[in-house]
Amino acid sequence: MSADATSASTRSNDPKTPNEEDQNGTYECNICLETANDPVVSMCGHLFCWPCLHQWLETRPNRQTCPVCKAGISKDKVIPIYGRGNPNPQDPREKLPPRPAGQRSEPESSNPFQNLGFGGDGNFQFSFGIGAFPFGIFASTFNFNDGRPGPPPPNSPQQAEEQFLSKVFLWVAIIFIFWLLIA
Amino acid sequence: MAESAVESVKLAANNVTKRLQKELRTLMMSGSHGISAFPEGDNMFRWIGTIEGASGTVYENLAYKLSLTFPATYPIEAVKVKFETPCYHPNVDSHGNICLDILKEKWSALYDVRTVLLSIQSLLGEPNIDSPLNAQAADLWKDQTLYKKVLLEKYNKEVRKSDDSTQQLHKLS
Repeated sequence: MSADATSASTRSNDPKTPNEEDQNGTYECNICLETANDPVVSMCGHLFCWPCLHQWLETRPNRQTCPVCKAGISKDKVIPIYGRGNPNPQDPREKLPPRPAGQRSEPESSNPFQNLGFGGDGNFQFSFGIGAFPFGIFASTFNFNDGRPGPPPPNSPQQAEEQFLSKVFLWVAIIFIFWLLIA
Repeated sequence: MAESAVESVKLAANNVTKRLQKELRTLMMSGSHGISAFPEGDNMFRWIGTIEGASGTVYENLAYKLSLTFPATYPIEAVKVKFETPCYHPNVDSHGNICLDILKEKWSALYDVRTVLLSIQSLLGEPNIDSPLNAQAADLWKDQTLYKKVLLEKYNKEVRKSDDSTQQLHKLS
């Protein structure tokens, strides 16, 4: 202890080492000049506290250079340093994450046409064109409780007419599908 | 939330104070020739510095007082330095503002009071004539004999004036 004190005092009196801190300054952050806290080292070999370097980079988004040697530097080009004794080393760069990017949500709109075509859910609405034609037939043939007027009473001329019409359409649909398969 | 923000501001100010104390120690122990600086009163964020012109330059034996103001974000942001003694120099304007790249776009967190004062000291003897704040001084710089004459005239006038004003202050008190 006393030997340490003497050596320190002789060192500070020695004109060759005017700055005593140069001797123990090896592991000090180049920005805050304290022993590096959450240390990271740049590719050019300069040590910083991650919070200090993060602040330095944040204020200069367009000109990210090492404060010591002005080499190029970025978040991805620094290496965290893990000393002994920390059971759960955590990458310091994760502790001070960059600010999350802004999120923009669509305004709620009363425009009735907004959900036509490619809807918000990603469903393509198969609502027009010849492709929907046969399904329209099936829907009107097999779905009787869809709010439209019910089927006409049996054995009425209207019913015979409708059955004829639906058979005609069914055959047209079958021929159309057949044509599609051949073509 | 607000309390933690206040805490973090206090913590940051504490870190800046720590760094400034360290710089003061470094500066006093380095014994750099012709420069000195010390906090003005209790406020660590405002220092008064002095620079003596380097020997072999026209500014030899002339001493200048400067003010150093540290922002709360120091050393991420540069220290603001101004001549308090009027300084006749191509890169210093009549208000004492200094045109020096390392105090502006070339600032680095690694620079400290010592390197800034040394840079200004060497700027005195090696002005940047191409981007002058004082065009007249820049024009005159070519003729070093005449420059020195004008410089000394101005310096003596200013120093005498400030000496007179201090004497007047003494008489008043």
